[in-house]
Amino acid sequence: MGVRAIAAAAITLLPVLGRAAEAFITDQDGDSVTVIDLATRKTVATLPIDGKPAGIAMARDGARAYVTSPSIQQVSVIDTASRRVIGHFAAPGGPLGIAVHPSGNPVYVADWYSDQVEVIDTATGHLMGRITVGQSPSGLAVTNDGKLLVVADRLSNAVSLVDTAGLKEVARVPVGAHPFGLALDPSGTHAYTADVESNTVSVVDLVARRPDGAIKVGKRPYVVALDGPHGFVTNELASTVTVFDLATLQKLATIPVGDYPEGMQASPDGKFLYVANWDSNTLSIIDAASLKVTGTLDAGSSPRAFGTFIK
Amino acid sequence: MNATRRLAMMSMACLAAYPAYAHGPTRQKLELSVEVNAPPAKVWAVIGNFHDLSWVPAVAKVEGEGGNDPDTAKRTVTLKSGGVWHDEELSDYDAAKFTYGTFLPHVDVKVLPVADFSAHILVTAEPGGKSKVEWRTAFYRGYPNNDPPPDLNEAAAKKAVTDFVQPALDGLKARFGSAS
Repeated sequence: MGVRAIAAAAITLLPVLGRAAEAFITDQDGDSVTVIDLATRKTVATLPIDGKPAGIAMARDGARAYVTSPSIQQVSVIDTASRRVIGHFAAPGGPLGIAVHPSGNPVYVADWYSDQVEVIDTATGHLMGRITVGQSPSGLAVTNDGKLLVVADRLSNAVSLVDTAGLKEVARVPVGAHPFGLALDPSGTHAYTADVESNTVSVVDLVARRPDGAIKVGKRPYVVALDGPHGFVTNELASTVTVFDLATLQKLATIPVGDYPEGMQASPDGKFLYVANWDSNTLSIIDAASLKVTGTLDAGSSPRAFGTFIK
Repeated sequence: MNATRRLAMMSMACLAAYPAYAHGPTRQKLELSVEVNAPPAKVWAVIGNFHDLSWVPAVAKVEGEGGNDPDTAKRTVTLKSGGVWHDEELSDYDAAKFTYGTFLPHVDVKVLPVADFSAHILVTAEPGGKSKVEWRTAFYRGYPNNDPPPDLNEAAAKKAVTDFVQPALDGLKARFGSAS
């Protein structure tokens, strides 16, 4: 537990400084990405993107964002500075979850309809390989050292640990029922999954490669975000965010947000969490200190923001 | 930590209870509403019981348990068409706010061509002693993979839900009188 507490504390040392934070929100029914300036809390751009955009992965340097369109089997590349779509990659099946390697290349795209994660070279758009994981891979994330890709296998009730050098699954660890979103701590030693059907968040020890606890949360948990010592999870059917202590796995607060909250991420400075409310078409702003909603912004039509969406 | 470990074990043990239903990648949203000439409490007295769908024309009968307690309530709904769905859950219930939510994890697509069907019913006050009744639904199409056949695509799902919900709202309007 001590290691986990130290790892959680380290996140406060990681903010990317000197850059105006912006949220890139995928609007499933708007066929667009809405860009919101998080300092002024205003929408500053709307980028048309076809195919019911859902998943998003922001490069660590914030220069590129990669957006999945499951309906047309495509990944769109956004240049975040010019706020333009500058290219597309083909991604077969049902591309939904997406993550980008800390170096900026490659991207990993989960095919919801199969047991495959596609590895795409961001420089050329070419398929570099496929990784066989569990059934219906959903959320995925790469450790900060770039060595491990962690995949939530929704229908296998497990997470797959993938060696990014060999592009091979090296371990599979059971979690709750139907894991969808997942988050990794900054040290890359623990993964947290939102288990949609068992209403839990499961903890996975990535070093020992075994389950390391679970906490009961609200109904239909969907996405986990970490911020300092706290974990946050969106509960879709409860219209809430559950806050828990990462060290003790005790529930700290239940915060009402909009309806069908989905994507969620902490701001670079760790002061706020941003929650995309799919049904309400809004973005809730949670103050990480008071654990209360301090603002609600209009977003696009059916915002999802499934992945990392803040630059 | 013992408690959380125990919970972890419990959640593992529960896995067998969750069948692996797949669904498509894009959830649909359909929100229908009607304004009626009665205050919310009067409308709620008719529609506010999870186990009473006598105000929904498509429904023949409702059987269930757990009252209006979201932790325990479940219902089986039999349609006049003969179709049945089981284990529909009450996801939340707030009589003071005149709202409740439902969640149907699984339904035979021959009965209703949708997956993961959730809904909220909400009555809000309008000026002049009137009310707005909203029935807000969310669901995936009935076909879980790419290239759905026409009877299991998004349009088919939306039509089926509309055909279920709209006559019920029309019935409330007829019962209480139109607000306009």
